[in-house]
Amino acid sequence: MTDSSREKEIKLIQGLKTGDNDSFQEAVRAYTPGMLAVARFYLDHSSAEEVVQDCWVKVIDAIHGFEGRSGLKTWLHRVVANRCKNQLRSTNREIPTDFSESLEPELAHRFNAKGRWELPPKLQFHESADTLIENGALNDCLDKHLSSLPETQRSALMLYEAHQHKSEDVCNILDVSASNLRVLLHRARQKIFLMVENFQETGEC
Amino acid sequence: MLMCRDLAVIASDYIDGELPVLENMSVKMHLMMCKDCRTFIGNLRASTDMLNAHSSGQADEELIRKIDERVALALKEGSQDPTNQDPD
Repeated sequence: MTDSSREKEIKLIQGLKTGDNDSFQEAVRAYTPGMLAVARFYLDHSSAEEVVQDCWVKVIDAIHGFEGRSGLKTWLHRVVANRCKNQLRSTNREIPTDFSESLEPELAHRFNAKGRWELPPKLQFHESADTLIENGALNDCLDKHLSSLPETQRSALMLYEAHQHKSEDVCNILDVSASNLRVLLHRARQKIFLMVENFQETGEC
Repeated sequence: MLMCRDLAVIASDYIDGELPVLENMSVKMHLMMCKDCRTFIGNLRASTDMLNAHSSGQADEELIRKIDERVALALKEGSQDPTNQDPD
């Protein structure tokens, strides 16, 4: 974190501690997407939204106990994870996860018996990420595929990539081992890769 | 010897710099000789960058509005929830 973003965060935390409504509005906009990604790892869509709402109300008091040992984002994500785990404990729900295979079946089929490419990637994704993302149709397609990823894979991917958590923090928040996190990330990335490849080849989502 | 399929299995670990030194070297050696795997790794990396540039981190506005309302109400009333726990 840069000095200026650190300063901004300290100011925001002070605002939250004094119960300033504007600071809450700012924080809610900045941190809700990540909190939702955490909650959706554990719970179904509507329960996840409820938990995130409850957590924000809880934060009004809990923020006084925040000592800054971690960043605000990591702390908020842990508040959500703890609440989800408690809820799961009380309903005895299991989190469905599949860590057995690290290759997507669709990709695994593209190698021959010797382990060489049978159907190698044909096109190179030449354009930069920013140019590709300006392509509205591809953007919509990415949205569609992201929302169809298993929650566990999507949450891991969002926390690690979009919210830039360290592996260690993601493991902690999602309660998965380092090796299982690697599998979740790799599976999710392969799906995105397959989607972009298909889109580039066929122009269809 | 590292085959293309083996490389595909550990591709994300390679991209994230999470491979042990020796394994990392065999991936590099393989990539020098194999164009298909270079394309694969490049495309996998591009897909990840694309995801980062993608704006899907936005929460739904309806949810944000609900949270704003609940927080504003709780701030007004003074939150009296005694069950708060600090996870820090």
